[in-house]
Amino acid sequence: MAWLLGAAGVAGVAAGFTAGWILARRRRIAEPVDAPAAPVAPSTFTLLDAHRTGVVVADAEGRVTYRNAAAQAMTGTHVGVLVDAAVEKRLALSRHGEAGDEIVELFGPPKQVLDVVSRPLPDGGSVVFVDDITERRRLDQVRTDFIANVSHELKTPIGALSVLAEMLVDETDPSTVGRVVGRMMSEAQRASNTIDDLIELSRIELGDDRSTDPVKLGGVVAAAIDRVTELATQRQIDITATGAGLGGVGSPVIVAGDRLQLVSAVGNLVENAVKYSEPGGPVRIRIDPATVDGTEWLEITVADQGVGIPQRDLARIFERFYRVDRARSRGTGGTGLGLSIVRHVATNHGGEVIVSSVEGEGSTFVLRLPASQPAQPDPTPPTGPQPTTWSARQPTTQQGAA
Amino acid sequence: MTQDLRSEFHGELDAVRNDIARLGAYVVELIPRVTEILLQQDLEGAEYVLRADADIDVRTHSVEERALTMLALQAPVADDLRQVAAALRLAPEIERSGDLCCNIAKAARRLYGRELDPKLRGAIQRMSDQAQQEYREAVEAYLNVDAVRAAAIGDMDELLDQMHRAFIGQIFETHAGSAIDLQVAVQLALIGRFYERLGDHAVNISKRIVYIVTGWVPEHVSDDRQRAQAAAEAHTGHPGPG
Repeated sequence: MAWLLGAAGVAGVAAGFTAGWILARRRRIAEPVDAPAAPVAPSTFTLLDAHRTGVVVADAEGRVTYRNAAAQAMTGTHVGVLVDAAVEKRLALSRHGEAGDEIVELFGPPKQVLDVVSRPLPDGGSVVFVDDITERRRLDQVRTDFIANVSHELKTPIGALSVLAEMLVDETDPSTVGRVVGRMMSEAQRASNTIDDLIELSRIELGDDRSTDPVKLGGVVAAAIDRVTELATQRQIDITATGAGLGGVGSPVIVAGDRLQLVSAVGNLVENAVKYSEPGGPVRIRIDPATVDGTEWLEITVADQGVGIPQRDLARIFERFYRVDRARSRGTGGTGLGLSIVRHVATNHGGEVIVSSVEGEGSTFVLRLPASQPAQPDPTPPTGPQPTTWSARQPTTQQGAA
Repeated sequence: MTQDLRSEFHGELDAVRNDIARLGAYVVELIPRVTEILLQQDLEGAEYVLRADADIDVRTHSVEERALTMLALQAPVADDLRQVAAALRLAPEIERSGDLCCNIAKAARRLYGRELDPKLRGAIQRMSDQAQQEYREAVEAYLNVDAVRAAAIGDMDELLDQMHRAFIGQIFETHAGSAIDLQVAVQLALIGRFYERLGDHAVNISKRIVYIVTGWVPEHVSDDRQRAQAAAEAHTGHPGPG
């Protein structure tokens, strides 16, 4: 009820008074209020209507006498029907003097968790608050999962290292020693990668040493593709990049930002697309200008036709160390931090990252960055005709856009 | 009939409508829930859903009884009569939909431990989304007594039917590639059918909403057809084709 107390503070009356007000209002009695508070008085209900918590008041017979805007907004939807059922139940219990709450979990999509809390009022009536606790629940989950996952990610290679080291103690056969040492090195590399990514992530999260130079997105995409060329060739993935400012066609598309961070973000998206594609599958990258809600954005879209992401995991894949499929994650060899890095880079640049996916049909990630001021003329014009698309199998042509 | 009795009748009618809407809203939530149970192999969740089904049956029967009592004691006419008559038809429709969701939960138990191809999983998710969307439209059209919204659900269901056909094709394909055995293939085909039937129930609900508003039911079309046929036979003196 902190908000209610806050409202009372604004009005300059005691908290108990505020509750009295609600009752007065729902009896439709206009009672004069003490001098300084009087002009502010109606705003209490404006405040109630502005608040996202649903408020329902019932009289001693259990008849609903007041609903604020948030409680009314759900009327006529199936969610409203289910919330009403919970409110009714709470009101009935509250009439018997029982305060308490009930959690309503909605499957959505999107999933929603509502806390329906009832409190008896002095006149025998009750008030019910409907609070959306989806975000709070999610954050709790993220916190507990993070500790478990980070321990797991670090423990696995270190456990392997200690077992392998034990094997070496009594081992005299040079070829076995060589093999074990090789595995130790790769496990050490794995732990080291995880820690490197953690350090990079925390640096990006701090966000204070980010430069805001003009960065050509075409170059960012080309550098990102460069990073995965080897993997793409191995898996026979065909990477195609098209759009504004690519391959020297059109004026270069520029954002204000940190080139290294942007390359890292786009690189992670492209690497995931390559990793989770079926061998031979296509990966498409596009740069498009877009206008959303009157703001100019630049969108880098990375789309694959791979395994896709189950719906229930979609909201969580940007969390640190979140894995859709633990069994597969070792095979693909990521650190579990890639998408967190992407999200933080996007946020740092005032943008966002959006994902859509259907399991079995592929995933599409859109990195949306604010467009910077009108593009300056490119000081180094392209030296010759350049292809607008290229494949990862022909790395030489990528230099044109870089 | 006095004013008091009338308002009592309308209070009771509101309560019946409210209960129907709640049952419907419960199914709207149940569809994505059983899909998650199926795709995540959540045995505990399946058990929970199956146990809750008895409650749905009890609530359905209580609504039916109350609607019948209203018919017997209050003899409603016009709009009111259509509302009560529709409630009698809607309750079993929704109860059956709850059963279909239970069938999906049971299939989840039978498929426990079997790994499914991501393409099949994606197709199941799509059918579930579509069935839920239709059902949500049906429930909200009922809440708002909106015949226009209800009329659109038939078109939405064509998409679900297409998805169902495509899903059956995918099952054959996956089975031919020996990725799943016959047992799993049969279970999956049944699951596809359950979602398709859920959509059909949403369409049935939508037709009752059109009936509440306009008094028209699709059966009238077949009645007219039969009358026209009978008239044609009388005219020519011998039975026509079909």
